[in-house]
Amino acid sequence: MGDDYSSVWSYRLKWLYTLLLVATLMLPVFYVIYISFNKNGFGAAEYVFTFEWYGEIFSDLLLLGALGNTMILAAITLVVAVPMGLIAAKFYKATQAKLLTVSLLLSPLFVPADILGSALLVFFKNLNIACATVGEWLGVSWFDTWFDLGYFSALVGLIIYTLPYIFVVILITMGRYPEQQTEAARSCGATAWQAFIQIEFPQIRAGVFSACAFAVILTFNEYTRTSLLKGGYDTITTVLISQMLNEGMSEQSYAMSSLISFIAIAVIGTIILYTLFQSDRLEREARAKAEPVMSS
Amino acid sequence: MSPLPLSRLRWQRAAAKALFLSPIVFMVLFFALPLALTVVWSVFERTMFWMKPGFTLFSYENFFFSARLENFLGSMMHSSVSVVVAFLFGFPVAVFIRRRIPQVAQHRVILLFILPFMVSEIIRIFALRPVLQRTGLVNSVLLELGIITEPITAILYTPMGVIIGEVLSFLPFIVFAGFLAMEAVPKYVFEICDDLGARPHRVFIDVILPLAAPGIFAGAVFIFVNGLGVALLPNILGGPGAVNAGLIATQAISALDFPLAMAVNAIMMTTLLGLLYIGHRLFDLTRILTPIN
Amino acid sequence: MNEDTNTAVQVIGLSKNYGDVQALRGVDLSIAAGEYFALLGPSGGGKTTLLRLLGGFIRPSAGQILLHGQDVSEQPPNHRPTSMVFQSFALFPHMTVAQNVGYGLRLRKLPGAEIAERVGAMLDLVGLSDLADRMPHALSGGQQQRVQLGRSLVLETDILLLDEPLAALDAKLRKDMCLELKHLQEQVGITFIHVTHNQEEAMTVADSMAIIADGELIETGTPRALYETPRRRFTADFIGENNIFTGRVSAVNDDGVEVDLGYAKLTLNADGQAVTTGDDVAVSIRSELVELLASGTAAGAAHQIMAATYGEAVYLGLATSHVATLPNGEAILARHISRGEAPDALAAGAAVELAWPRSMMRLHLS
Repeated sequence: MGDDYSSVWSYRLKWLYTLLLVATLMLPVFYVIYISFNKNGFGAAEYVFTFEWYGEIFSDLLLLGALGNTMILAAITLVVAVPMGLIAAKFYKATQAKLLTVSLLLSPLFVPADILGSALLVFFKNLNIACATVGEWLGVSWFDTWFDLGYFSALVGLIIYTLPYIFVVILITMGRYPEQQTEAARSCGATAWQAFIQIEFPQIRAGVFSACAFAVILTFNEYTRTSLLKGGYDTITTVLISQMLNEGMSEQSYAMSSLISFIAIAVIGTIILYTLFQSDRLEREARAKAEPVMSS
Repeated sequence: MSPLPLSRLRWQRAAAKALFLSPIVFMVLFFALPLALTVVWSVFERTMFWMKPGFTLFSYENFFFSARLENFLGSMMHSSVSVVVAFLFGFPVAVFIRRRIPQVAQHRVILLFILPFMVSEIIRIFALRPVLQRTGLVNSVLLELGIITEPITAILYTPMGVIIGEVLSFLPFIVFAGFLAMEAVPKYVFEICDDLGARPHRVFIDVILPLAAPGIFAGAVFIFVNGLGVALLPNILGGPGAVNAGLIATQAISALDFPLAMAVNAIMMTTLLGLLYIGHRLFDLTRILTPIN
Repeated sequence: MNEDTNTAVQVIGLSKNYGDVQALRGVDLSIAAGEYFALLGPSGGGKTTLLRLLGGFIRPSAGQILLHGQDVSEQPPNHRPTSMVFQSFALFPHMTVAQNVGYGLRLRKLPGAEIAERVGAMLDLVGLSDLADRMPHALSGGQQQRVQLGRSLVLETDILLLDEPLAALDAKLRKDMCLELKHLQEQVGITFIHVTHNQEEAMTVADSMAIIADGELIETGTPRALYETPRRRFTADFIGENNIFTGRVSAVNDDGVEVDLGYAKLTLNADGQAVTTGDDVAVSIRSELVELLASGTAAGAAHQIMAATYGEAVYLGLATSHVATLPNGEAILARHISRGEAPDALAAGAAVELAWPRSMMRLHLS
């Protein structure tokens, strides 16, 4: 492809470089996966294939509990953050104050995890104190624990973290949806809700599903904010990292890292394949559109 | 098709408005407000386990007149190096994809870079240990090939390790940002350049850089700020001296010195806003948003 | 409140602001039921804003909209007796032609058999029976617009709004579809309100029309009235090809009005407009009414004669346009049907006289 006059070899070399770059980025992960199947662990002279370390993960009660917590957090993040991103994208398309909206929604990307995490930690601790003080003053105690560190605060951190990605993915898909179709549906007698569900949603579904996958994977992967805000609960990553920091890299931690990576690679791999398939279809449709049946 | 009563219409409109504003309200309440309040908390007085309202610049003194400042400036240096290295490796890929790959296939190639980005950042950082360490992958391969006779020890638990970690962690972002930035450089521009017989480096300096500057700048700021803020990078890959702002803040939290942590946050936010302000004055960052409008 | 059921649309003092921009300013308009009404004007003039206000897609900043006597200003689109045809991209791409046409009926929860029957009849009417199971992307532009028409008409609403429905089609197809739309409207008998920036399109379809520019309603009338006897200077400038002179009223008497252009005086009928001496006015004459006389040819007293310097002839196919220069330096056009004769032998710079019937001149106070 490319210019008719440019060299095929320079084009191939550039492709090779691109693929090598991706491979380099993935190399450490693949190496960890490779080690995780070695009975003798990292650095051993002899490589013996085994599932032993994976078996250990699933018999570790602490880990299973953490896995449960992670799944609950991921599910709630999904259910809350994806609709929020959808609403935010609709709001962005309608509002006049675009710059303000988009800066507010995308700026979490630019705030490093430790900074946001510690600011939220102090924020929630202060809210807690405020609640307790007000409660004492009013003589009631039922809202004392609202803002205790735990599921709620961890969720807030996760939603802020995932929302920008969800917002962008949905917004890009929505950009291809012509707004007239919603208006056409309204003028056919549909309510705003019917128009969204029956007309718009089927056309932005791919984007919403990718956003869901993003939300789940990012939640599974997230460590810093969660570890600061989780209170007494543990997630997979917090267990894994504390294990690694305290005991160094054990065979089990290689297996667990691999497992988390597997999930991400499987989900994203599926999406990439689906997208490739989908864009092939869109391309065919685009070609069909370019050569319409020429009669009136 | 019968008309709705006005009261019901007003109620519906108010409900819709509240719904559409909810993400904004959430972000203001739990994102903008806590970050803004860090400035207030940073001047509070430290107590044994917490802090109390007051006004003292002790935390800032603690930051600026200690080894912390040196560490902070050092991590800024490492971060800058990472930005440059990531740009040199990553940006040509963005140009290549935009320039040589057919329009419909461009997004698919970009998707390749989503894959590493979707594997947990901390796992990718930790995974560098077995790769880079004394008996790790890099050393054993190089020894096997006879390129070196002694294992290289300078690439882990050193600033070098931190830079390698930053580049590998954040490189996808410069590809994404560069890809979006290149949207501002229409394909016909390259044809005009070819027509005029411009050399590749002139095309890059005279055409690509000025047009793509806002996007490149955003990507660079992203990497720079995360290099300063992600505590795990120096914590896992750096040696004793490698401490960045994120690590200072988390260490302060562990030491229950909350005002100091908040002061570090305030300094980081100021740095970020300052950079974005400079960038906006120089290149008008709103141009980045053209592709999504 | 207007209870006259013969009025389909009544708009009172309607305004729409976007921040500081006034898209529509205090428009008053009424449209009779069963009429084919065209809203004509330059792009960005506010005609689409008016149509979207009627459809309920935007809310008025001020003013009222009455549809068949009922105030719908606050009602959403699905609670108005209107239906809309869009410029393009408005078919639902995930539904077949028949599903698109039947969408509104399904929303009304009509029985399946009735929906099928009505959709079938509608596809017959718009000539798409063969394509019922096609997806929209497999249709030509003209076919897509027919599907849109069918989707709206099948609902049997009282008012059909058409927003530049033919703008995306090529010129030949647009011409054919214009006439078809007109005949379709005569068949179904409901009110059509059609927005366009194309003069010929508006004049082909409309029983009456309104000119809208700069957010204001300039003038309403039948296509013939607006073409032949425009009241406003803007209308004269916008519709047809008019020569417009500006001058000052120098005398008002029983014969009519005398307008002093500085280099010539025009005498014309005021058409009942109230003018007084000293008013700044404009006078228009359509270019096809201007005759080019070689110097010395006599013309009757019913004609206005003006001296000019010949410029050039522009051959346009159907007509040839002659450009001449007036004493004040402005250009004046005389357009004649081309009859296949050899190009006129007039040379640039030659002195010529232009003549036109006095009765055809129009006086514009604004």
